[in-house]
Amino acid sequence: MSPLDFFAWLGDSDWSTNLHESRYAYPLIESVHVWTMAVFFGSVAMFDLRLMGMIMRKVPLGEVVRRLLPWTIAAFAVMVVTGTLLFFAIPLRSYQNIFFRSKMLLMVLAGLNVWIFHSRVFPKAIDAEAAAAPPRAARIAGALSLVLWTGIVFSGRMIAYNWFDCDRQPQPDIVNFLTSCVPGE
Amino acid sequence: MRTGLAIGVGALGLLVSGWTSSASAHHAFAAEFDANKPVNFKGTITKMEWTNPHSWLHVMVMQPDGTAVNWAIEAGTPNVLFRRGFTKDTLAPGTEVVIDGYQAKDGSNRANGRDLTLPDGRQLFLGSSAGAPYELPPGQ
Repeated sequence: MSPLDFFAWLGDSDWSTNLHESRYAYPLIESVHVWTMAVFFGSVAMFDLRLMGMIMRKVPLGEVVRRLLPWTIAAFAVMVVTGTLLFFAIPLRSYQNIFFRSKMLLMVLAGLNVWIFHSRVFPKAIDAEAAAAPPRAARIAGALSLVLWTGIVFSGRMIAYNWFDCDRQPQPDIVNFLTSCVPGE
Repeated sequence: MRTGLAIGVGALGLLVSGWTSSASAHHAFAAEFDANKPVNFKGTITKMEWTNPHSWLHVMVMQPDGTAVNWAIEAGTPNVLFRRGFTKDTLAPGTEVVIDGYQAKDGSNRANGRDLTLPDGRQLFLGSSAGAPYELPPGQ
């Protein structure tokens, strides 16, 4: 079964149909996704700015992490659940949406940034706490995170404004390649 | 200097996140449709996609020369249509309807639906996107 067949089948399932035809569930899930995004993006932005040495410079880095990270993680968990449900409601169209794809790609990059930061940069940044400014690697990680998450929110919003839909042909070959669109189907 | 930069970055972040997340009504009329390209035609429903965030109505329209052209008509969410008197079965395939709407800016056979008239004369409002011409106060 190809991915296209699989997502078409998923979208025809009773659960997906109930979700995308729903009067309340879909807008509610969408709203929860946006509410928690505010908490998530807000806490990430505060932490990133702290890493870049721009705000809360007198508050120890470990303290900032202890206070903000639980909010970040909790909000992210809710966003993964609601985001998965939103995808599940409209699987094939989302899978072939170029902005959905760029959002997933950026999320992988943001995840790598988090992983590298927490495994390598953060321990050193804590050690260097006595120094006036955070180490260069910490500042880069903060700036990268801010740029990536801004791009992710933008891509997410653009999913609704997609003008590369498969049923809007002709599209350049490169677009059909990037979106797995099969013109004429 | 650093404080200024911090405020600048913060303001930019707020601007971007606010702009990208506030338009929760999904896309606006002007993003896709042209208020200066009204369309009006009689057709037969081939398929009704009763779906969030916008429903789509697929209609086959016979041209004067006998050829058939397919149009996709955007309509409101299932919730909005339900409140205006639609059910999922109101628009069964084969139903003859008259559609009023506005064509897509790119000239394709897609339109933002305004009014739909059923064979028994009942008229239903399809309107879906914020900023459509029919949302303006009379006289504008």
